[in-house]
Amino acid sequence: MRLNYFKIFFWLLVVLLTATSCEKVINVQLKDTEKKYVIEGIITNNGRAKVIITQTGNVSDPLVFNGVTNASVTITPTGMATQTLQATSAGIYEANFLVPAERNYTLQVSIGGQQFSASCYMPSQVPVDTVFTTTEQFIGDPQILPNILYLDPVKPGNAYKQALWVNGVKIRQIYISNDEYSNGRQCNDRLYIIPDEDEDNSTIPVIKPGDTLTIEMNCIDPVIYKYWFSLQRSALGSNEQATPANPVSNIQGGALGYFSAHTIETITYKVPR
Amino acid sequence: MQKIIFLCLACFISIILPAQHKFTLSGTVKARASGETIIGATIKAGNEGTTTNEYGFFSITLPAGKYKITYGALGFLVFEEELNLDASVTRQIFLDGKNVNLENVVINSSTSTRRSISNPQMGVEKLTTSEIKNIPVLFGEKDILKTIQLLPGVKSAGEGNSGFFVRGGSGDQNLILLDEAPVYNASHLLGFFSTFNSDAIKDMALYKGGMPAQYGGRLSSVLDIKMNDGNNQEHQASGGIGLISSKLNVEGPIKKGKASYLLTGRRTYADQFLRLAKDSAIKNNTVYFYDLNTKINYEIDKKNRLYLSGYFGKDVLKLGNIFGINWGNATGTLRWNHVFNDKLFSNTSLIFSNYNYQINIKAGADDFTITSKIEDWNIKNEYQWYANNKNTVRFGINAIHHTITPGNVTAKDTSGSINNSNLQNRYSFENAAYISNYWRASKKINLTYGMRLTAFSILGGGNFFNYNADGDVTDTIKTQLNSIVKTWINAEPRISLSYIINPQVSVKAAYVRNVQNLHLLSNSTSSSPTDKWVASTNVIKLEISDQVSVGYYRDFAEGNYELTVETYYKNMLNQIDYRDGANIYINSDAIESQLLFGKGRAYGIEWLLKKKSGNVTGWISYTLAKTEKKINGINNNKWYNARQDRTHDIAIVASWQVSPTWNLSANWIFYTGDAVTFPAGKYKVEDFTVFYYTERNGYRMPAYHRLDIGATKILKQRKKFTSELNFSIYNAYARENAYAINFRENKTNPEITDAVRFSLFKLVPSISYNFKF
Repeated sequence: MRLNYFKIFFWLLVVLLTATSCEKVINVQLKDTEKKYVIEGIITNNGRAKVIITQTGNVSDPLVFNGVTNASVTITPTGMATQTLQATSAGIYEANFLVPAERNYTLQVSIGGQQFSASCYMPSQVPVDTVFTTTEQFIGDPQILPNILYLDPVKPGNAYKQALWVNGVKIRQIYISNDEYSNGRQCNDRLYIIPDEDEDNSTIPVIKPGDTLTIEMNCIDPVIYKYWFSLQRSALGSNEQATPANPVSNIQGGALGYFSAHTIETITYKVPR
Repeated sequence: MQKIIFLCLACFISIILPAQHKFTLSGTVKARASGETIIGATIKAGNEGTTTNEYGFFSITLPAGKYKITYGALGFLVFEEELNLDASVTRQIFLDGKNVNLENVVINSSTSTRRSISNPQMGVEKLTTSEIKNIPVLFGEKDILKTIQLLPGVKSAGEGNSGFFVRGGSGDQNLILLDEAPVYNASHLLGFFSTFNSDAIKDMALYKGGMPAQYGGRLSSVLDIKMNDGNNQEHQASGGIGLISSKLNVEGPIKKGKASYLLTGRRTYADQFLRLAKDSAIKNNTVYFYDLNTKINYEIDKKNRLYLSGYFGKDVLKLGNIFGINWGNATGTLRWNHVFNDKLFSNTSLIFSNYNYQINIKAGADDFTITSKIEDWNIKNEYQWYANNKNTVRFGINAIHHTITPGNVTAKDTSGSINNSNLQNRYSFENAAYISNYWRASKKINLTYGMRLTAFSILGGGNFFNYNADGDVTDTIKTQLNSIVKTWINAEPRISLSYIINPQVSVKAAYVRNVQNLHLLSNSTSSSPTDKWVASTNVIKLEISDQVSVGYYRDFAEGNYELTVETYYKNMLNQIDYRDGANIYINSDAIESQLLFGKGRAYGIEWLLKKKSGNVTGWISYTLAKTEKKINGINNNKWYNARQDRTHDIAIVASWQVSPTWNLSANWIFYTGDAVTFPAGKYKVEDFTVFYYTERNGYRMPAYHRLDIGATKILKQRKKFTSELNFSIYNAYARENAYAINFRENKTNPEITDAVRFSLFKLVPSISYNFKF
């Protein structure tokens, strides 16, 4: 399902409600808990592997990057040699090596005797056919929105994730889709930009003619689709779409985060004047 | 055949008194002005008494002799007659309405129906439309579902919401019946209005515990709503113009005294307000709903009467031309009352109920429609046998065929990006037979005991699945259309007892088992029209609850004040919750892969003090309660507070008849905040602040309280034309109650997390004009 529609639907409900509502920042006393490791591991078919290891912080404290330094991190492509990732800065571990698609990858992380592991399948690359923009009005002023066309493979079980930058500024939104309802079809993913409720002080870019759009297209494992799906619905601090819960992770051993092996394609597009 | 049945029944009844000279007084009680039958009217003959059933029928068997018979009902003047009972008689009683002349506006306790001290039925709340008339509500829209939330043991599902939770049960555990037809989604416009237009409603009863054996299929409560039949004496029109909606009701005789019709409609014009919005995009959206209630009834002769009633409602919500959703219920009930003789009354109903929604999406290459529905065909045959003055037996059978269409996706354009797909229809067959006896065992003890036997069959046609502990499908079971995949048989005992300590004081106790076959899956904490109904399957087991309750009842000041104290403990099996990251809109028939199962328990104590008469009437209700769930896979498999768990819940409702034309009313509500899940930590993934959770519902929303006030001024009151103006203010002291608390990044420093409280509705004034001629 094009998840975005449900998201927009819920957003509409919020807009309707906020027509009569008011919001206020309040003080909520939260219990502090033990810190937990967060592993964000990515390996892409352009040969890059990057694993970021951090720890959770208290909700009431500023969220500063606290990289975990004493970890040993390896990635093993099935049937190939194990690669060790080197710490490039505190909590960041990287390596470059040949990364073929359509293969399973296993991540091993060891931090002071604690073991974490994850495995992920890198699907074959589905190329983007075209990028174009359309003008839509669904809320607020008419918006220029980017569209991506690609042909979903006949075999079911494909999932995609996209990222969008407008003149180099990243749109902080999660774009995911899968072929559940569109298997084998020419797919058109439209990257909606949900505007800020506070239009006057909005920091969210508005696409104008002449802007440069950068779109990253990833073909992801359905397990990673599930991770982003559950993160988006239940772990971003609201309970409108689902009861708050941790995202469904593929990491074994009790750490938060994910390990994704995915393909990458980056397209730059200039919005016609 | 009938003789055999009666022989069996005779065995069932505990005491059959030896024949003596006894005669039966039976008949119907009606309102004189409208010819409407009156539900729950009391008939008293010396120490003996009875009440009319839901069709206004009564039967009482007395030794031969002279009696003074008194007939009374809430809102009507008492009618008395001398009767020399030397043969069985059938009477048709007409009661005069109290508002015939203005001096009688004040409610007099002798003319109102008191809660019955002696009847073993407990956990029941009854309200008539006249009682809720003056209670102020949001947008001034009288709403039966919002008013019952002011009663003990009934909790609102949220600010201004018509959804409700009874004694710790969830929203789908309420059986909501409109003229016997189940209503699957009783709310309009995201829950802010109920589907019940109060103008069309005659009577409602809410059973929180000790459900009579004729009801079944839901764990927590039965809300039985009866529509007006339609005036069979004269044509009449009434209506109202409010801020949000307008309504019109027309009724009248088709054949005077014999047949009548009723037609009630309501439509909102909230979308007209959207047009006024400054945001051009909000203007392009559509939001409205309408309701239509219709009824025809025909009294063929003294022994036979037919009723045909229908309800149609629809909500339409459109976001420009990209996204549209409409949903609605349609119900229909055809009933035939037949009086076999002065002791045996029967009713046969054929009932249809449908709930559906349709989503339309048109965005680029995505142009498609999603449809989903649940449809019931239901036949019921019930007998009420007034065996003697000690025993009243009720028995019947019921068969329901459910069809659930979980979701069909239809692409408008075959070259678009969406494939057509249809989830399997699910069929099931629900059968029940029940019998219960109201036994007046002695002067002190009354007893209702009975049994409901239910057989729920999953019908084939499609695939069923088995799963491992992670919810992955392990094997597929193929089934033939209409074959029986599985049948569950359950015996649901229902027993309640009252012990009369003195005419003012009684104690009661009840035990009831309920079984639920249909379950509502909702992905979010608030309800949505797209929430899915699913029938039990090989994996989703029937929900079962056992409830014990004990109560204390006391009348003060000659029945002007009533005190009710009830306490209950409820155990619930096979409760459903969602796995983390569940998606109930998956394109797969294996919906169970998204679910987890466990148990629940709820207990509490409820106080209700009611003042029934005088210039000032109203009640104070207080509930102290706890509701928990234990589901493997949630909260580290430990007990956790259910979302509807609220410790304290207080409502004070008062109505003051200042003068014959002015009425002032107010209600004040206080409750403990809902159980809610807040984060225990936070971290970054990509550039998003993600929250870390350790426990389910470990926190509380802030306490909620609110005052509503209302005033009604009767402008004109004549025989031919009545009009009134109604003002109300919802949340009069503008308390900012928390509707939601969200955590998000601070605008200027994203490293900091703000807890943002959303409040809805502060100080909402409304005005409405109602008329009747």
